[in-house]
Amino acid sequence: MIQKKICMVGMFATGKTSLVQKFVYSKFSEKYHSTVGVKIDRKQVEVEGTTVNLLLWDLAGKDEFQDVPASYLRGSGGLFYVVDGTRRETLEQLYALHEMAHETVGDVPTTVALNKKDLTDQWLLRTDDYDTLSDHGLHALGTSAKTGEGVEEAFLWLAAATIKS
Amino acid sequence: MTDDSDRFKLKGSIDAYGMSHVGKVREVNEDHFFLAAATKALTVQQTNLDNVHAFDHLKQSEAHLFVVADGVGSIGGGRLASGTAVQALGTYIGRTMGCYYSFDVEGENEFLENLENAVQHAHKTVQREYSSHGKGPATTLTMVALIWPRAYIIHVGDSRAYYLRKGRLRQLTRDQTMGELMIDEGIMKEEQVERSSLGSTLSSAIGAEILPSVGLIDLEWNDVMLLCTDGLTRHVGDDGIAEILQRTPNAKTACEQLVDAALEGGGRDNVTVVVGKMNSAENG
Repeated sequence: MIQKKICMVGMFATGKTSLVQKFVYSKFSEKYHSTVGVKIDRKQVEVEGTTVNLLLWDLAGKDEFQDVPASYLRGSGGLFYVVDGTRRETLEQLYALHEMAHETVGDVPTTVALNKKDLTDQWLLRTDDYDTLSDHGLHALGTSAKTGEGVEEAFLWLAAATIKS
Repeated sequence: MTDDSDRFKLKGSIDAYGMSHVGKVREVNEDHFFLAAATKALTVQQTNLDNVHAFDHLKQSEAHLFVVADGVGSIGGGRLASGTAVQALGTYIGRTMGCYYSFDVEGENEFLENLENAVQHAHKTVQREYSSHGKGPATTLTMVALIWPRAYIIHVGDSRAYYLRKGRLRQLTRDQTMGELMIDEGIMKEEQVERSSLGSTLSSAIGAEILPSVGLIDLEWNDVMLLCTDGLTRHVGDDGIAEILQRTPNAKTACEQLVDAALEGGGRDNVTVVVGKMNSAENG
């Protein structure tokens, strides 16, 4: 069986833990818990006839007190970035995180979850944001950890990309 | 950023100490703790290799294991459960742990799986030993395996792991209680849980149903690690814990003062603490 380490990376409170919880346990909690260090979960998936054991490293989000330590990213087979679609700054700061991660792990498959899509009235991302992501070579997908929209698709897309790389 | 070449090079020392007290109310101490260190060293005795320093990184490779467990059950049953779990865990790890010179993704995952298997082994041992007791005793179990600078945390129940960095105390584990579950599911609010007994009813425990939580953190010199049972946290708040961990010169004194604070706060439960101070060599 193939094993792939996937790191969940993003600013604080973008919904990284909620996406993992939804994907692995089909659960969603409205209560916010700040992740400290790294929380690790596993999920086995079938992609294109191959069984892949995903090791999901849910990293504490970057905030004023802490950066994302490069040491956690080493050995990643894929990076799962998470942006909060209701906070534009989480997208703007993603590019710096991507640059740091790229320096550490090189060219590994990445996807960007534009999360909290259920909050349509607070959504702040525009069409040109999607174009900019594409210009950076980043695959992006709208997700909602609350409703489950796009969650499975995002993880499976990344899993498939990791076995092709 | 932690560079791989620094891995396993101890530029300081780890001062660890544990203490357990029955408290002021209970007759039996149902808590247990366990501290262990495993050392691997390759000492070159003689060679004609040009680069004798090629093996320097193998000179000192230490793994530290910190465990606390808080038994629950009928009188005396909790003590048996926590003791059995800690003993089974220590034995399993002592027999199987060893590959910690270098980690690639596969190696690190294998190591983590090994720690999880040790917890499962402890769980099955408690179930097997006390299956004749009907709804047998159970226990919390919080374990940290520290291979500098990385601390791997496996957690079942409501004992806790914390770390203190630059005066800021952070909780590394989340209590696995029915109360937390109810809040997460949106069934109850925090105030409702506080008024009920669900806040102390375990949703995951060794010997009963378990869903171990796995995590890690890279430590820095001068960080302090704390593992404790709820006999401490029900009487001493985060600020009090942080203040004691910061002001005490060594792990033993920190343990003594934490236990004293819990007793002064009422000592209604058994109290167990394990403290690991990451002492930088630069601080003398």
